[in-house]
Amino acid sequence: MELENFWRKLKMENKRLIDFKVFLNGIWRENPILFIMLGLCPTLAVSGSVRDALGMGIAVIFVLTGSNFVVSLIRKIVPNHVRIPVFIVVIATFVTITDYILAAYSPQIHKNLGVYLPLIVVNCIILGRAEGFASKNNVFNSILDGLGMGIGFTLIIFIISSVREILGNGTFMGRNIFGSNFEPFLIMIMPPGAFFVIGFLIALKQKIEKGSKKC
Amino acid sequence: MSKKEIFTGIIVLTFICVLSGYLLAQVYKTTKPKIEEIKAEQEEKLNKEIFPEGEKFEEKEINGVKYISVLDSEGKEIGKIFEVKSFGYGGDIYFKVGVDNEMKIKKIKIKEHNETPGLGAKIKDEKFLNQFTGKTKEEIYLKKDKAEGKIDAITGATISSRAIVDGVRKLLEKIENGE
Repeated sequence: MELENFWRKLKMENKRLIDFKVFLNGIWRENPILFIMLGLCPTLAVSGSVRDALGMGIAVIFVLTGSNFVVSLIRKIVPNHVRIPVFIVVIATFVTITDYILAAYSPQIHKNLGVYLPLIVVNCIILGRAEGFASKNNVFNSILDGLGMGIGFTLIIFIISSVREILGNGTFMGRNIFGSNFEPFLIMIMPPGAFFVIGFLIALKQKIEKGSKKC
Repeated sequence: MSKKEIFTGIIVLTFICVLSGYLLAQVYKTTKPKIEEIKAEQEEKLNKEIFPEGEKFEEKEINGVKYISVLDSEGKEIGKIFEVKSFGYGGDIYFKVGVDNEMKIKKIKIKEHNETPGLGAKIKDEKFLNQFTGKTKEEIYLKKDKAEGKIDAITGATISSRAIVDGVRKLLEKIENGE
């Protein structure tokens, strides 16, 4: 219900060419992980260490912005019934280009991201935004949405991975912060740890929003 | 759905696929030499890390097994480097094993792996890999698997650790049975 109202409001506002609310929307209100709950699989998988999480986040920002841009550019010439395959081709192209470019010019990040880079293709945030936003909005807003959603994703995955790495491994960005006497909570670095942290973050977001609305 | 709609659908999809195919081919062509250069560089760096005193690395083959013969500055063979493939938790792990002339492990370096970041990915840490240095075939078991074993598994990543240990031991067995 709330979502529907929001879309209606967005559609009305959409007469404006550039709407910066779209950008902030992805970072906080409709954050891809905490609100739309898309892309949870890569979130669980790469949030074990901060460095990998940041690499993943940056790759997602690039692919999401690029695919949103192209999708909104071609949205008027793509017939409705072939739109999903077209979006997937566009996304896969972007991911593969990112893969090659990273391998050629930044081999260290490429090595750290490993299998997760090709997996961005099936990251549902990308297709979700292509279908849910870029195919219905103009180019500028779509780029803003891609950036906002990407940054929102990166921010949350950074927080999750910080908590998991510090508690589960006793390190931050690979640097030891507790000294050798610290016995890490192993469960934090394993998949359940990610669920705990995501759960707490979602609850926290709800609390903050509900609190500010006084309902 | 009218015939016209189907037709435009086919045209658009074909056009997009051809375009992205062309784009990918271009990107592939421009990045390929660079990627191969980096790969060769990393290969050499790994070899050099395993045998810092090695001067020349020659690729050789015995009975279908490929290995790299390490020569020192006088052209004498001081060891061999083998590439091993082992099945870990997240797929194949490729690693290089340096063996000296007495068939003892010199050093191990992980080349490629898809293990879980933060857990299995620790197999590439020096702390784990240095345990192998100087060990013989009988000692290469996980401590928890066999009493003679002298290798500590990584906490929470037994499968990844075991993959390396088994891979190394099988390699040494192969070498002993006459390469």
